[in-house]
Amino acid sequence: MSEAQTPSLEESVTESTEEGDEVESAEIPINGLVLEHCEGRCRFILPADLDWIDLWPQLQVYLAGQEHLWSETLPVDCVCGQRLLDQSQLQQLADALSEHQLRLDKIITERRQTAIAAATLGYSVQQRELPPLLVKEADREANAAANPLYLKTTLRSGMEIRHEASVVIVGDVNAGASVIAAGDIIVWGRLRGVAHAGAKGNLGARIMTLEMAATQLRIANFVARTPDPPKPPYPEVAYATPQGIQIAPADAWAGSLAVSEAP
Amino acid sequence: MGRTIVITSGKGGVGKTTASANIGVALAKLGRSVVLIDADFGLRNLDLLLGLENRVVYTAIDVLTGQCRLDQALVRDKRLNKLVLLPAAQNRNKDAITPEQMRQLASALSKHYDYVLIDCPAGIEAGFRNAIAPAQEALVVTTPEIAAVRDADRVIGLLEAYRIRNSHLILNRLRPAMVAANDMMSVEDVQEILSIPLIGIVPEDEKVIVSTNKGEPLVLAESPSLAGRAFMNIARRLEGEKVEFLDLEAASGGLFSRIRRLFGAKG
Repeated sequence: MSEAQTPSLEESVTESTEEGDEVESAEIPINGLVLEHCEGRCRFILPADLDWIDLWPQLQVYLAGQEHLWSETLPVDCVCGQRLLDQSQLQQLADALSEHQLRLDKIITERRQTAIAAATLGYSVQQRELPPLLVKEADREANAAANPLYLKTTLRSGMEIRHEASVVIVGDVNAGASVIAAGDIIVWGRLRGVAHAGAKGNLGARIMTLEMAATQLRIANFVARTPDPPKPPYPEVAYATPQGIQIAPADAWAGSLAVSEAP
Repeated sequence: MGRTIVITSGKGGVGKTTASANIGVALAKLGRSVVLIDADFGLRNLDLLLGLENRVVYTAIDVLTGQCRLDQALVRDKRLNKLVLLPAAQNRNKDAITPEQMRQLASALSKHYDYVLIDCPAGIEAGFRNAIAPAQEALVVTTPEIAAVRDADRVIGLLEAYRIRNSHLILNRLRPAMVAANDMMSVEDVQEILSIPLIGIVPEDEKVIVSTNKGEPLVLAESPSLAGRAFMNIARRLEGEKVEFLDLEAASGGLFSRIRRLFGAKG
């Protein structure tokens, strides 16, 4: 175990507390926006639970943060699920995508009205019915999304990134923003907001950042406040131990990792 | 086509309307034609600050419902003929207008004026979305307080999401003495969090209260106070001039810097 080998270098996190239990952590929904590309096409999955007005800013951040990842215009299949989209929203979506070299091509929806709106605008439509089969279909989609999310942007107050795998943010995560990932969270910048790694219960998940000034850290079902960041700041890593969340300087932690892999 | 700029902040009471009034008047003093749109439907204040309350006949709502023509609703400032105000309706609320209608108003006005300045209401709800809908640029007003900065951060994120990427920061009500004593966030602290270019630093000034009560914006004064000069400089920077930031430290700072300034002024 890493903490046994580098006890002197570890800073115990103040007021590290355990909250919630396995049941609760298993219920945390991480169905964020997903954009996956494969063989010259993109698949854009819209989360079901956000209102359009709240989804829209997130969608913009998400697209802006990913722009550098492809070089040619790609056609997009948009998976809308139960979400109801009218013509103007579809038009906004198409405009937003086209700004980032993406062309809205196909709408995959379970709602008849959305299908009609999409067809009217000239997009190809795939309409699915709602038999129990679909639940499995949705699960499969979620698992297919387990690529890391790489975002090159500053996450400002009010922004929330949720992802089924690890998340890399190149930029600051400001206070009031949150990142929730099933895997690790790496912030190449200042982490001032809330970070929740291993949100599906993975105790081996870590939070790594150049400046650990987080409002709150969560790993699986552990919650901790962070102490004031060191001055001048240096990169740090937060990880879970049976006693709670610990923070160690990145260089010391990396050294210990070479000897023993954390759980 | 004129420039359409929204003045916004998220948090209330940080000085959006004061900034709108003063920057509008300052631009008009620089010889530009300016229209100020009060987007705070139901809680209008801009007419008060400009001293134009008793001259409001029609409002933006009357224009949209066809009760009057657009030019009839514009209130001309008696002191500066380059400045007009499009008042908000006081007896309605934020739902009385849609983002599309705001766009129509602003685009009609930008054909005839160099600057269309929109005074945004506090909050991030319907009123905010109406106010930012027509804008290409934004001036984000904040004070050096943690709550105001947090809200400004949120607003900058939303502006980016609504594709207004040309945002500048106005840091209002700064008290250099408190910053020096480490009791207030400094310009650098605020900039480090918000990371958008700074266009003005306005010091705390009691004269703002007097000017508000009188309906005479600070920049109209014969010899404007420091805050008035700061607003004037913001207008000049909007015009593309390179203007040094005011030396607020020296203006309010210790005895030594005051003496130095005194000698500097005489010498």
